[in-house]
Amino acid sequence: MNEMMRQSLPDYQIQTPDPWAALPVNAESREKLWSKSRTFVGDVWFRFRSKFTSIFGFILIVLVLLFALVGPYFATFTYSEQNLDFVNTPPVFRAINCSGGYFYITDKLKVLEIDAQGHLVGKVESIAEDYEKKQVTLSYQGGEIIMDYSQSPYTMLDENGERIEEAKHIWNRTYLLGSDNLGRDMLARLMFGARVSLLVAVVAALTNLVIGVLFGSISAYCGGMVDAVMMRIVDVINTVPLTLYVILIMVVLDAGLLSIILALGTVYWVNMARVVRGEILSLKERDFVLASRTLGSSTATILFRHLIPNAMGPILVTLTMLIPSAIFMEAFLSFIGLGLTAPLASLGTMCNDALATLRTSPYQLFEPALLICILMFGFNFVGDGLRDALDPKLKK
Amino acid sequence: MEKQYMLEVKNLVKHFPVSGNKHAVVHAVEDVSFRVEKGKIFGLVGESGCGKSTCARTIIRIYQPTAGNIIVDGEDVSYKKNRELQALRRKMQMIFQDPYASLNARMTVHDIIAEPLRAHKVASSRQEVSERVYDMLDKVGLSHEHANRYAHEFSGGQRQRIGVARALVIEPEIVICDEPISALDVSIQAQVVNLLKDFQYERGLTYLFIAHDLSMVRYVSDEIGVMYLGQLVEICAAAEIYEHPLHPYTKGLLAAIPIPVPKLARQKVVSSIEGDIPSPISPPPGCHFHTRCPYAKPICREQEPELRDMGGGHQVACHLY
Ligand SMILES: Nc1ncnc2c1ncn2[C@@H]1O[C@H](COP(=O)(O)OP(=O)(O)OP(=O)(O)O)[C@@H](O)[C@H]1O
Ligand SMILES: [Mg+2]
Repeated sequence: MNEMMRQSLPDYQIQTPDPWAALPVNAESREKLWSKSRTFVGDVWFRFRSKFTSIFGFILIVLVLLFALVGPYFATFTYSEQNLDFVNTPPVFRAINCSGGYFYITDKLKVLEIDAQGHLVGKVESIAEDYEKKQVTLSYQGGEIIMDYSQSPYTMLDENGERIEEAKHIWNRTYLLGSDNLGRDMLARLMFGARVSLLVAVVAALTNLVIGVLFGSISAYCGGMVDAVMMRIVDVINTVPLTLYVILIMVVLDAGLLSIILALGTVYWVNMARVVRGEILSLKERDFVLASRTLGSSTATILFRHLIPNAMGPILVTLTMLIPSAIFMEAFLSFIGLGLTAPLASLGTMCNDALATLRTSPYQLFEPALLICILMFGFNFVGDGLRDALDPKLKK
Repeated sequence: MEKQYMLEVKNLVKHFPVSGNKHAVVHAVEDVSFRVEKGKIFGLVGESGCGKSTCARTIIRIYQPTAGNIIVDGEDVSYKKNRELQALRRKMQMIFQDPYASLNARMTVHDIIAEPLRAHKVASSRQEVSERVYDMLDKVGLSHEHANRYAHEFSGGQRQRIGVARALVIEPEIVICDEPISALDVSIQAQVVNLLKDFQYERGLTYLFIAHDLSMVRYVSDEIGVMYLGQLVEICAAAEIYEHPLHPYTKGLLAAIPIPVPKLARQKVVSSIEGDIPSPISPPPGCHFHTRCPYAKPICREQEPELRDMGGGHQVACHLY
C-alpha cells in the first residue's frame, strides 16, 4: 500500500521510511507559482472564446468587414454606375421562354431579354402597342413577339396567340441582389453602405475612446470644481437632441457624411464619459492608486498606468454597446434625409429609396434592413460576450 | 549627543466630513504628537478603527492634515502642495495594510517595483532600472522569473514582499508600515517582519510600525505609542510597556495577547476590555476611554486628561496617575 502511494507521487521523492513524516521544506517549491501565466488580454480572450454567441457575433462582424472592405474588388459594378434599362430588376426573375429566348417583364411593362444562365442581355424594343387588347408588339431577332398585359401575371404570346402560362425562375446573374430604381447594383451599394456604417462605428469608437475616456477620467481624478464644471458640460451636451445638432451642423457645413461624423464625434462620447467617471471615482480611492501617489508618480502615470487600464472592462463593454447605437443613429439620420446625398449610399438612404417601390420591389428594403440587423446582432453579441468575459466574478 | 529625530508629529488633527451631515465630522485623528528617532522603530498600536491608518496616510500626505505639523528630517511638510512633495516621497515610503488591494493587478511585478524608480528618474537607463528591480527581488526572496508575472498570481505573503520591494527600491530613509502583517497567515508574518528587520539593520532605516495588537510590535519596536479613538493614550519604551503598563487600555490590550502557558493564563488578573469602541463622529466627553474603563472616576467624564511624562520618557494620558 505504502509502496503504491510512493510510486504515485514521484515528484516528492519520499526518502524517509515513515510515510507520515513531514516532507522536507523546500524553499524553491514554496515560492514557485503553479498557475499558468496569462495576461489580461489572454484571460479575457479565453473566456470570450468559450461562449458560442460571442464568437458568432465576432464572426458576423468579421464577415461584414470583409464584405465592405474586400467585396468591392470583386464586384462588377461600382455603387454609382447606373443603367436605366435595367431598373428594379429582382434577384430572381420570373422568366418566360418564347421564340427561343427568355424574357422578363418589369412592372413598368418593359421587356428585358435574359440568357439561360440569368445574365441580362438587353431591352427588347417595342414597335407598336394595342391599347384595346392590352398587347405590345416587340421586335426580336428580326421577327416579332407579343407581350400581353390584359391579365396578371403579364406574359408573352406564343405563335398561336395563346398566353404562355408557364414561367421559369432564374437567378439574376448580372445584379446578384437585384438593381435599384435607377438601375444601380444593390450589392455594390450595400458594400458601400456597410463601409459607411463601419466608418461611423470607427469614428464613434475613436471619439469614445479618446474624448470620452479622457474627459471622464480627468473629471473624476481632479474632482472638486473641475469635476463639477466638466460634468455640467456633459449635461448640456446631453440635453441637445442629436437630430437638432445634425441639422444645426448642416446649416454650416453641407449635408453629408462629414456633418454626421462631426455631430457624432462632438457629442457621442458623453455616455462613455459618465461611465468612465463613475468607474474612476471608485478606483481612485483604492490602495494601489494611493500607493502610486506615495511613490511619487505623476498624474499622467496614475491615469494611464493605473486608473484607465483598470477601468478597461466597463470601457470596452460601453464601447461595444455604443457602436451599434451609433450605426443605427447614422442609418436613422440618413433615412429621414439628414444624411448622405446621392449617389453615395448608406444603409439608411437605401431603406429610404426603397420605400417608393416597396410594393413591387420589397427586396430593396429587405436587403439593407437585413444588413443593419446583422451589424446590430454582431456588435450586441460581442458586447454581451465581452461583458461576461470581463466580469471577474465569473472568473474560473 | 543630541537626539536626531527623523519624524516629528505635532498636534496632528485629521477630520473627515460626514456625507449628508454638514455639521458632523469624523474625528479620525485628534491631537496626536510623537517623535521618532533616526534609525529607531516606533510602534503604533490600537484597535481597528482608532485612526492608525489615517494617521499614517496624513503623515505621508495622502490626506491633507486638518491641523498640526508633520516634520520629516527637519523639514515641515504638513501643508506643502502636491508638486512640492517629490522630495518627501523619496525620503518616506509606505507599506500598505492590504497586500491584495495595494498592487495594481494590471501590472507586472517588474513594472510595479520599477514604478518609483521611474517616478523619481533615479536610474539612467532601462537596463539600470531592471538591474535594480532584480536586485530587489533577490533581497525579498523572490526569483527573477517572477518579474514578468502579474500581481494577482501571487500569494498574500509574496505580494506583501513585492510591496516591501516597491517601497524600499528607491532607498527611503523612513518607512511607514501600516499593519504590513495583519492580513497574512501567522506562518508568513514572521517572514515579512524578519525581512523588514533585515532591511533596517542593513540600511539603518527608521520605521513607523503600525499594528492592531501588541503581540508582534513589542518584539519589533524600540518605542510604542498606544492609540485610542484618534488619540495617543500612552507612549513608552517597548520593554517597559510589558513590564509596567499604566493606562487601563494598554493593560487591556496586553491582556488580549494569548498566553502560551496555561498556568499563567489562568492567573491573568486584568480581563480584556469589554464593550465597543464609541463612534469617532461624536467621541464621549472627557477621557474618551471612560465608557469602557473599569477604573473610571467622575473626573474622567468631565475633563480630558493630558499626556504627561511619568519619568524616563514614559508618557500617559490618564487621571489615575
Ligand atoms: N476617507 C475617509 N473618509 C471618512 N472617514 C474615514 C476615512 N478614512 C477613515 N475614516 C474613518 O476614520 C476612522 C479611523 O479609520 P482608520 O482607517 O484610520 O482606522 P485604523 O486604525 O487604521 O483601523 P484598521 O485597524 O481597521 O486598519 C474610522 O472611523 C473610519 O471610518
Ligand atoms: Mg488601517
